[in-house]
Amino acid sequence: MARITAGVGSSHVPLLGVAVDQGKWQDDYFGPIFAGYEWTREWERQQKPDVVILVYNDHASAFDASIIPTFAIGCGEKYKPADEGWGPRQVPDVEGHPDLAWHIAQSLILDDFDMTIINEMDVDHGLTVPLSMMFGQPEAWPCKVVPLAVNVVTYPVPSGNRCWALGEAIARAVESFPEDLNVQIWGTGGMSHQLQGPRAGLLNREWDNRFLDLLEADDDAVRFIPHIEYLRETGSEGIEMVMWLIMRGALGQRVKRLHRHYHIPCSNTAIGHIVLEPSA
Amino acid sequence: MTNASPRQNIHEYLAELEDIPGTRVFTAARARKGYWINQFAMSLMKAENRERFKEDERAYMDEWAISEEAKAALLARDYNALLDLGGNVYFLAKLFSTDGLPFAEAVSTMTDMSWPEYRQMMLDGGRSPEGNRSIKGGY
Ligand SMILES: [Fe+2]
Repeated sequence: MARITAGVGSSHVPLLGVAVDQGKWQDDYFGPIFAGYEWTREWERQQKPDVVILVYNDHASAFDASIIPTFAIGCGEKYKPADEGWGPRQVPDVEGHPDLAWHIAQSLILDDFDMTIINEMDVDHGLTVPLSMMFGQPEAWPCKVVPLAVNVVTYPVPSGNRCWALGEAIARAVESFPEDLNVQIWGTGGMSHQLQGPRAGLLNREWDNRFLDLLEADDDAVRFIPHIEYLRETGSEGIEMVMWLIMRGALGQRVKRLHRHYHIPCSNTAIGHIVLEPSA
Repeated sequence: MTNASPRQNIHEYLAELEDIPGTRVFTAARARKGYWINQFAMSLMKAENRERFKEDERAYMDEWAISEEAKAALLARDYNALLDLGGNVYFLAKLFSTDGLPFAEAVSTMTDMSWPEYRQMMLDGGRSPEGNRSIKGGY
């Protein structure tokens, strides 16, 4: 049986991809950020997940304004890094797991989540930056990836409550997949940041850390944070953190925190990540 | 089954989104208004379109159903005006990269700070949420 063995929440700031690709990860600016991920990279080397369900959002790369799926799951064989205006990142292609992805897609639809199915797309920094942060610079990514794209750009975006419930349904779907697979789920984006308007540059260390505390907690209070609170407290792009709740919902009621890190700033953004495992 | 949270009134929900200082939340209304601005910006993902745009910005924009006001804002790279007209930053970013402008530097042009001042603010911990959360509430 396939099982979800761990969850990771992580920022996916594009500048981190630039730092990896240009070998700047040890300089004064990026050093403290990459040092915070060192524990996680070592842990991933030991865990060797077969598949990562990678929850992220597309930033007007694969999807333009013409079609806006709220929840979309990648069921393809392979995804190429997107050209985001500076040429595609020189990172390996991302290999999908169509058998597991289609199983999850079908299970979710039968479980009342009306998913959009994606067979072909390019994947942008939202998906490739977390892979670089967790796995470094391998010749090929060490696991297969099921991309799960969430609309967090055009309002209304899905509620935290709905994201959590989707995570629960993903866990049920994975558990009913007959093959023996070690599956992780990652929720990415955030933490506090605002990339637009006169209020751009807003960061909120206190709120972000309270959010991390709530993710570690044994109750589900975090799912009920309304959109307006993310927007007021963490900036207009801080709303990406609702995607972490899909990860958290998939881990069940109780979790054990294995690692946590927070750093300000990276470009316009607060960087955070947390590693959790389900606990009986 | 999960505990359903109380369903929010859509009018109250949308009104709250307008109560944040210095912020244009990308609501459906803005997405509709700015649809062609964003699709135009998206077209700059293709190298041949970037070439044609750079050669004659005005002529390239005339191929799109964009208002005169929006064309003027695009020519002036007035990103706050473009947000008001329904532009979204992830789409407008295609124009940042067409101009060869780093993302954070382009973002700083929407604030009342110069790029070096903005960069320093970020290094010092970013903009505080204090007083920046609510227009009506003033907190
Ligand atoms: Fe993002």
